Amino acid sequence: MTAVIQTQKLSKWYGNVLGLSDVTLQIEPGITGLLGPNGAGKSTFLKLITGQIKPNIGKVSINGQRVWNNYSLFSQVGFCPEQDSFYEEMTGWQFVTNLLKLHHFRPDEIENKAEKALEIVELSNDKDRVIRSYSRGMRQRLKFAQAIAHDPNIIILDEPLNGLDPLGRRKIIRLIKEYKSEGRTIVVSSHVLPEIEAMTKKIILIHQGKIFAQGDIHYIRDLIETHPHIVSIKCSHPRLLAEKFIHQDFVSKVYFDPKKNALLVETNNRDTFFALLPSLFVENKIDVEEITSPDDNLQAVFDYLIGK
Amino acid sequence: MTLIPAIVWLVGIYISERLEDFQFMVRGDQTEFLNVNPTYFKTYFTNDFLLFMMIMILVFCGAGLISDDLKHNALQLYFARPLKKRDYLFGKAAVIFFFLFILTLVPGLVFFIMKMIFAGNFKFFASYPWLPLSVIVYSALLTAFFSLYTLLLSSIGKNRRYVAILIFGIYIFSDIFYGIFYGIFRSHYFSLLSIKANIQQVGAVLFNQRTPQDVPWIYSLLIILGISALSGFMLKKKVKGVEIIK
Repeated sequence: MTAVIQTQKLSKWYGNVLGLSDVTLQIEPGITGLLGPNGAGKSTFLKLITGQIKPNIGKVSINGQRVWNNYSLFSQVGFCPEQDSFYEEMTGWQFVTNLLKLHHFRPDEIENKAEKALEIVELSNDKDRVIRSYSRGMRQRLKFAQAIAHDPNIIILDEPLNGLDPLGRRKIIRLIKEYKSEGRTIVVSSHVLPEIEAMTKKIILIHQGKIFAQGDIHYIRDLIETHPHIVSIKCSHPRLLAEKFIHQDFVSKVYFDPKKNALLVETNNRDTFFALLPSLFVENKIDVEEITSPDDNLQAVFDYLIGK
Repeated sequence: MTLIPAIVWLVGIYISERLEDFQFMVRGDQTEFLNVNPTYFKTYFTNDFLLFMMIMILVFCGAGLISDDLKHNALQLYFARPLKKRDYLFGKAAVIFFFLFILTLVPGLVFFIMKMIFAGNFKFFASYPWLPLSVIVYSALLTAFFSLYTLLLSSIGKNRRYVAILIFGIYIFSDIFYGIFYGIFRSHYFSLLSIKANIQQVGAVLFNQRTPQDVPWIYSLLIILGISALSGFMLKKKVKGVEIIK
């Protein structure tokens, strides 16, 4: 498949702070997930490929054309930023139509395109309400609407699922998948692996401004599986539970957190661990108060992988 | 309220052509102020009230032009579209152009035309053929300067009130500082600190009048052009699609 977005030795720094370093990659049509902890350089990468900032070194091209200062190219790109970018006193309709005017469409085209975009994100009934009265999910969908309203071939979404409830997430994921099926190129950034997993198998791992890994989601999953996982359990008989865990091969460490009054178990086989856990509770009549994973985040995985 | 000076000056032009009808209002021979000539135009364009009204327009109509976009993170959406930074800035400046031209270019040309209509001849044009050009150049210079001045200040902060205070404060305090330093050192060169005094100096030259300050007018022109160029340069640097947090 031909690459739509190409970067070559792309680097960007802000004063002494490195934003992105020596990034060379190719993005093909379909959904590509950009995964990395906060501050990894995801937004910098997206702003470089949307032509909003100029790279210090290297180049970005879309369909073989240089991006920086290539304004005509921006008609092919839809960008949904991470932060809210609304004039709160505007209605959803005004927001979308005003941004469409910047594409120099005719008035009737603007109306048609805005109508269609708002219908896709299921905001047609609320289009005349002021944005101030919109819920978080509606705002995210409105941002998505402005990104797709001009019918772009490339859609760049910066943390589109941030702060959404499960229903809102499902709606946005469905919309993104629908656009993928139309053969468009979609780049979605997130710092939450399951979010990306729900949309695509193609992912790019980014950390400290560098591309850490690129490829199929299973490869990343495999890396994560080997990551020793810590589980915190608050229960009625923590010492009894600790004794049971000690005999298991997949448990590498067991210790207590006196401050939280919790049992901490380190395992390198998370699936087996969680499969066994309910039976241990039931057989030993242990009442469970809370089960958490203090290191179940991407930062911990990255820290582990870098150390490795 | 901002159009009061224009209306007064227009009425003055009418009366100057119908002096015999208004003779009962005039004491003795005090009609010199109704003599419509380049001084009459210069007085209109450089009077303190008109300049103050322009500043008030900038405060109310110009302060939020860029600062509101910054506040609402709108620039990243604008510049992700086929919109050039130059077009964005020109669009913003057009708002200021519109309001300031209503106070400068439009009344200036209307005065000129009405003078000839009331007189019923082209004698005034024949006497001062360069006057329309002076009106155009002065209006363009003043509008360009105030546009760049306002847009730069508007791009500094996200709070339009703070920007409004800056627009008003810099204009007023530049004049106050001139007054203070002049009071201490008795040198007219301190008028170069004042935005108002520099505009009045250049205005006087463009209308072929004696400058109000005993300072070479070219210095004032250079200061106005310098501030405009610096503002333009800084605007280009400051207006970006993304906020860079270092």
